[in-house]
This record gives sequence, structure tokens and C-alpha cells, in this order.
Amino acid sequence: MAAYLIKIAQYWLRFIKHEFYFKLNAWTISALVIGLVLFLPMAEVVWHLTMPAESWEHLRDTVLGQYIKGSLILVVGTAALSIFLGVSSAWLVASCKFPGRKFFEWILILPLAIPTYIAAYSYFDLLDKLNPFLIWIRLNISTEAMALVSDAIVYPVTIIVLASVLYPYVYLVARAAFIQQSNQCIEAARTLGHGPHSTFWRTALPLARPAIIGGVSLVIMETLNDYGAVKHFNIPTFTTGIFRTWLSIGDLPGALRLAACLMVLILFLLILEKWLRFGAKFHNNSKSDRPFKPYELGQIKSFLAILCCLFPIIIGFILPISRLAYWASQTIENVIDSNFLILTANSIAIATAASLITVLLAIFLTFTSRYFGSRTINATNRLAILGYAVPGAVIAIGILLLAKQVNQAIGWIMTGSLSMLVLAYVVRFLAVAWQPIDSGMERNCEQINNASRSLGVTAIRSLTKINIPMLRNALVAAGLFVFVDTMKELPLTLILRPFNFETLSTKTFDLAQQAQIPESAVPALCIIIVSLLPLIWLNFQIRNTEK
Amino acid sequence: MNVLTLKNITKSYNSNEPPALNDLSFNCQSSEVIALIGGSGSGKTTLLRIIAGLEAPDYGEVILNNDTLNSSTVFVTPEKRDCGLVFQDYALFPNRTVRQNIIFGKGAMDDPSWINELINMTGIAGLEKRFPHELSGGQQQRVALVRALATRPLLLLLDEPLSHLDPELKESVRTELLKLFRETKTTVVFVSHDIEDATAMADRMVVMHKGKAEQIGTSNEIYKNPMNKNVARLFGKTNFIPIKLIPNAPYSFTEKESNEKLVPVRPHQWRVINDPTTDLPTFNGKVKSVINQVSHKEVEFETSQLNITLHLPTNQSVQADSKLTIAYNAEL
Repeated sequence: MAAYLIKIAQYWLRFIKHEFYFKLNAWTISALVIGLVLFLPMAEVVWHLTMPAESWEHLRDTVLGQYIKGSLILVVGTAALSIFLGVSSAWLVASCKFPGRKFFEWILILPLAIPTYIAAYSYFDLLDKLNPFLIWIRLNISTEAMALVSDAIVYPVTIIVLASVLYPYVYLVARAAFIQQSNQCIEAARTLGHGPHSTFWRTALPLARPAIIGGVSLVIMETLNDYGAVKHFNIPTFTTGIFRTWLSIGDLPGALRLAACLMVLILFLLILEKWLRFGAKFHNNSKSDRPFKPYELGQIKSFLAILCCLFPIIIGFILPISRLAYWASQTIENVIDSNFLILTANSIAIATAASLITVLLAIFLTFTSRYFGSRTINATNRLAILGYAVPGAVIAIGILLLAKQVNQAIGWIMTGSLSMLVLAYVVRFLAVAWQPIDSGMERNCEQINNASRSLGVTAIRSLTKINIPMLRNALVAAGLFVFVDTMKELPLTLILRPFNFETLSTKTFDLAQQAQIPESAVPALCIIIVSLLPLIWLNFQIRNTEK
Repeated sequence: MNVLTLKNITKSYNSNEPPALNDLSFNCQSSEVIALIGGSGSGKTTLLRIIAGLEAPDYGEVILNNDTLNSSTVFVTPEKRDCGLVFQDYALFPNRTVRQNIIFGKGAMDDPSWINELINMTGIAGLEKRFPHELSGGQQQRVALVRALATRPLLLLLDEPLSHLDPELKESVRTELLKLFRETKTTVVFVSHDIEDATAMADRMVVMHKGKAEQIGTSNEIYKNPMNKNVARLFGKTNFIPIKLIPNAPYSFTEKESNEKLVPVRPHQWRVINDPTTDLPTFNGKVKSVINQVSHKEVEFETSQLNITLHLPTNQSVQADSKLTIAYNAEL
């Protein structure tokens, strides 16, 4: 036992010596500081749990149960429906031959351009049509019965609305997983007597499971982050609870406790995701493998496949877009004015600034971690990218707490400034830029960075002459994704924006809150159009890669 | 003069597993070519990466030209070591032309005539404006070599330099490499799993097994006097005959596990004996099987105590289940 403990102690001493003595330089120190600073807002939320919260017991006894119930129903329902829509359409376009398959292949990702709150507004009158029926129940049965029926309707509708625009997260990864699957495995299943149906359930789906879990986890994070849609449908969730407790009741400690509960829930989900994907090597990159040969579908099956692919596009893209376009054509003259141009410029300017800074930080952090082989920087990077898993409302609270402390320490007033808003976007979306850059660097730059080090070249020369030119596509993709996410972001912008600073997303929300949903269609459409451009670019990139 | 000295290099990746390198030491003289040879998992690439500075050892010292590069308190980063490294898959920068690749290293532009000389020596003149993907495997390898040599490193490290080449090309590249090393008076440490490559190119070889240097010496020394079964088997099939059966054998080693003295006998060191009065040690037994090879017949032979593999000339008539007397001839 003593020998074992000595061995462990020696291991850690060596680790500390290598990490904090041998690998210490300006790059690693800067990366360490940046990584920790970007994690600070999340740490602030957890740290402030020690603050007394007088109303916590009241919150716990009255609304906490509702928030948990609301969040869980939405998460489970949206995840299940997203899996159904995403996996079924992915399997059809990846493995079956039917008319329009190529067209569906890329059009199925378009709902991703529509933010959840805009999807909700586009269906705003759906529930209104049920009001006479609910009133009839209240008058003829009871108020409780009406509430019950109302819940029974509003939850499924919200789940359908959320899943209709979030399923592409599952679709994209599932399709890629099905395409990359070893043809030999599929052919082996077929020679063992399994038809398409059985091959899907017993071979293709289990092989694609890790990828699908990754996609579903994104759906869950987005569902938990949503504020606009759940507020619109009046569903109690953690995010609406945080807003209500803090901004309406003015109880910051209570809101912090709710935020911490949400973080615990997310942490649980992340651990669950890791556990479900642990140690799995479900793909085969054998170069000798021939490409997947799609199943030929007959006329009836082709018709059903087309219907199956059309359904998510209709509810997730065509219907919302056509309704928004109709309303926009009716209200455009009332909405477009000089103020609208200013808020459009605001949106573009702040999204550009956020994406540039985020991409620069992401490449610096990734490069430093990989180039110097520092496990400490890798760990702080992992902490820094946690922001994407944490809802915007929680990050906003963390940033405000951090700003308060900065103000107390050095007298710099960050609160209500654009720099604070940009910092919040960086914290929230660093992972979006980090993922493509890190995987690109792992795939393309690991060995050549070693080569450049052995040639005596400095780190900055390796970064600028080798890594950045080689990662050009990944950098563009990272920048575009952060740009679009910033344009769409709502809860964080609502809380942290400077006084009188409007963006397209806040304008859409404000107009919708004032029951001017037709008017909100114009800024909403602007967001969607901007979001569509990178999706089209991404689609071309995926096609080129597959070729 | 020692260019490279390794002292007690130890490296573990996981405290629960045996170390990847275990107390390994050797020296490398100026202009010497050393091969690190061993099976997969023997630690040869790890050792190469430690010398290059891409990994840090847990213990031990790396000294290059009297400068300590690794010790308990020193770690010189790869870019500050004077070691050129040629990777197994060459690691050429795909976004740079051949010439840009070659002059990328620190100080590579200080002596353009040296670069031109290297380019001419390796026969890649005329390819300078091409990108790596426009070159064949052999051309890529030469570019990687020139790139590494352009900075005039004290020590050149090569990771499996011939593993990507087909057998025909391999032989000519081996000769070219040796010529280049001799002409440039470069000190070289290279990794290989192929004993033929190591024998053809190296002045000395370090035979590695499970992170340890089992034997260091010239290929001839190691071939004739292997320290144990593993080392002997590197050179192909070997019979291990207890010394009591061949008391006059010129060499034997003691096997650690059984503490038994064994004589390594190569399959071609046997011959069929018709004359029972020979002075050579003889063995009587039965032929188990005969496999025809291009240059010889491989015979599995069984005595009352041993199973022996022997190679016989193709014109020698031998049948399965026939009885034979064979003799060991150390001179063969």
C-alpha cells in the first residue's frame, strides 16, 4: 500500500514538474489565464450559492417542482421527437434511393436556421383556435379540468415546435454516421439474412448510437436554454423561472439557486452522455471498404419516404417561413425605418466582433494546448468551453456577478457595456468555434507541428505559416457558426444588452411580447436569412468532403 | 567522440502498466548510424521522440554534444535541440512547396549552397515548385530528409524511414541514404522493425524489447552472439539446443527463466549426414514435414528430445516420415 502511494505521489510530482516547470512559457501562462477567466462566470454562479437566499424555501415549496416538471417534460419530449424525425430522415437519405433524395439531403438541415422563439411565434395563433374549447370545459366541467386539458395541449405543441427546428442536430450527425458506417458490416448483416428493416434496428442504429447521443445532447442543451418559446407558450421551466425570480421579483440569490439547480441538471446530462459514449468505437474507417450501396425503394415505399422527409421540412421550415413571409409583406412598411437599420447594423456589428474574438481565442487556446502538449491547458480549455452547455440566462448572471467584483476591485464599470455583452457571447459560444478548430488541428496539424518544432521554428511561425493556412476552412466555419448563434441568441442579450441597445433578436422578442407578432416577422426573417447562408456553405463543404 | 549519450531513460504512460522505456542507456559516436530495432510496443519510437524532445522522460538524462537536454531539472524544448527528425509519414507541410518546405527550418537559409548540394545529392532538383501531394512516396521521403538536413543538425533522427516503400525501391533508397549519411558525415539514429534495413544501414544496432535495450552491437555481433531467444529470433527462425547436446558449440547464452544454457542454431547450420564417423555433433530423428521454398527446403525434424527446423538445398531429396541423421556445423 505504502509503495503504491509513493508511486502515485511520484507520478504527480513528475506531472507537476513537467506541466508547471518544463512547459511554462508566455503561451501556456496566457492560455491558462484566458481559460480560467472564461470559466469564471460559471464558477461565480456555483460560488455564490453560499449567499443566504431568504426566499429559497418559498421557491422550493411553490415553484421549483413546476420548473423541474416543465423542463423535464420538454427535454424528454423534444429529445424523443427530434430522434424520431432526425434519425428516420437521416436513414432514408443515407441508405435508400428514392426520387428527390439529393434534394432532401440538404434541405432537411434548413430548419436549423430558425431560432426556437421565432418558430414559436410563427405558430402563435395555433393555441388561440382552441380557446373556445377550453372555455367550454371551464364553463361545463371545472377550471381544474380546463388547466389539465390546457397543459395536455400546450406541452405537445411546444415539443413539436421545438423539435421541428432542433431535429437537424440529430439529422446531421446521424446521416454522417450512417454514411461513414462500414459497408462490410451492413453487407454482413444482409448476408446473414437481415432485410433493410432488421439491418437498421440491429446493425446501423446501434453503430450510430454514439453520434446520435451527441446530437441529442445538443438538442437538450438548446431546449434548456430556450426562453422565448417557453415564455410565449407560458410553460414554467428553469430559464423562465430564473428570469421571473430575478427580474420580476428582484431575488438574485433565489435566481442563483435556480441557476445552480439547472447547472447540476446539465452536469448530470453531460456525465450521462459521456457514460453512454464511453469507450465506444462504433465506426470503421477501413480504406478498403467500398461506399455504401443504397437500397432501391419501390413506388409505394418511395412515396412514403418522400412523405417522411417532407413532414419535418413542412413543420420546421416551410410553414413558419411562409407565415412569417406573409406577415412581413403586410407589415414591412410599418417596421422598416431608420431605427430598424440601426438595430440590424447593431446585430451584424456585435455578431462580427463576437465571432472574430471567439475564433481568435479558440485557435490560440487549441494551438497552445496541442503544440505544447499541456494537459493543464487542455483541462482549462475544457472548463472554458462548458459555457455552451450552460443556458444563456445562467451565464448572464455569472457575468453580472463577475462585473460587480471587477467594479469593486479595480473600479471598472463593465455592467451595461458592449464589452460585457461580447464577453458573454465569447463565454457562451467558445465551444462552437473550438470544436471545428480542435478537430481540424487534431486531424491535420499534430504531426506537422512536431515536424516544425524539430526544425527549430518558433511557435508563432508554426501558428501563422502552417496551422492557420491549413485550418482556413475550419476557421471560416467556426466564425460563421458563432456569427449565426450570436445573431439568434436571446436570453443573454436580453439581460446584458446596454440600455437602448436593440438587436434583431431582442426586437423580435419585444414585438412578440407586445402582441405584435406580424410586425416581429420582419426582424425574424432577417435573422433566418442571415442564418441560412452559413448552412448553405456548410452543406457544400460536407458534399465536397464526402466526394 | 560521443555525440549522443542516453543515461537510464525511463518513461511510463500509466502507473498501472509496465514502463514504455525502462532504464535504457547507450552512446552514439560522431558520424555513426545507429538502428533502434524491435517489435511493436518495444519503445523504440518513444525513445526517438524523447531524444527529439517531443516527450519528456520520467527519469534519466539525454546529453547531446555535452549539452544536457533532459535531466531531473532540465528540459530543452524540441525547437531548441539540434536534432532533425524525419517522420514515418514524412509530415511535409501540404500548404508549402518543396522549396518552401526545405527552407522552413531555423537557419536553413543561412547556407543556400548547402541546400542546393542536398537537393542535387538526393535527386529532387526540378521538383522545388511542386506541392507535396504532387510527389511520389520516394520523392516525399527525400524532401523530408533534405528538410531535416538543411538546418545541419548535430543528430538526425528517422522514424521507420523505409516502411512506406515497396521492396524494389527500398533497396535503392537504403543505398542512397547510406551514401548521403556518409557524404554529409551525419550522426543518425533511426527506428526500424526490419532487421534487413537495420543490418544494411546501421553501424550498430540497439535491440529493444519491452522498453529495455536487450543488446547493443554490430549486426554481425548480434547475429552470431545473441543474448537471448528474442534477440536471436530477430534474424529469423532459430533452434535453441541445450549446450549439453552440443558441448563444443562456440557460443551459448543462459536463458533467464529456465537458467539453462542454450546454443542458438540457425536452420542453415544443419546438414544431412551419411557418414556416421563425422566429428560434428549429430542428431537422429524423423522428418515431420517438408515445405518447398524458392531457395531451399524447410524441414521440420523431430528427435526424441527436440523439434528442429532446418533448411536443406532444393536438390536434396527428403521425404516426410523418413529417418535422417543431421549434424550441426558452426562454420556454416
